[in-house]
Amino acid sequence: MEVSHSVKERTIAENSLVILLQGLHGLVTTVDLRDESTATGRVTNVDAFMNMRLAEVTFTDRQGLVSRLDELFVTGRNVRYVHIPDEVDIRATIERQLQAIHRVRYFGGRDKGRKEFPRAKHK
Amino acid sequence: QQTTNTVFFFFFFIRLSLDERIYVKMRNDRELRGRLHAYDQHLNMILGDVEETVTTIEIDEETYEEIYKSTKRNIPMLFVRGDGVVLVAPPLRVG
Repeated sequence: MEVSHSVKERTIAENSLVILLQGLHGLVTTVDLRDESTATGRVTNVDAFMNMRLAEVTFTDRQGLVSRLDELFVTGRNVRYVHIPDEVDIRATIERQLQAIHRVRYFGGRDKGRKEFPRAKHK
Repeated sequence: QQTTNTVFFFFFFIRLSLDERIYVKMRNDRELRGRLHAYDQHLNMILGDVEETVTTIEIDEETYEEIYKSTKRNIPMLFVRGDGVVLVAPPLRVG
């Protein structure tokens, strides 16, 4: 599972629906952009701000011109829709992503390692 | 004070629409009708069995009258980015 290395991004993703998009890693999806163009390709990365990286992309621009791109980066703001593939189980995907985040967060056990949310010190 | 109350009621009531069909008006003259599966605080939504309607206005060059054209398409499962959402409502009843 591909969990962000940043605490801030993990927290943002955990509290919004971006986490579902992060679960689409490796799947071929179609992204409709804000400017009416569309990009169909394999999702290689989605961050907490919905910035997306796609690979092996068929890109159809506003005028309908089709081109092929090895890699495409889309800024989160420019995403309008993401077509979710039929085989995706939404609830299971979200739960899997949340579990991946929890595994990273509680790595090392209760009393070991750097804590993500430090416990209040008792006085 | 007033504004926080309004936002609270919206998120309170939109919960009732989960798994129900809803109507979403979006920016750029778009409308969606679909089943609400999930939403978040940004109004990112997951809609199932969606029908998207895009409405365009063409001006007739001779008569200068406005011709409304709409294009529809169906998408089985759609993730919608919240910043495009203008309003959310129960589906409009026709007739």
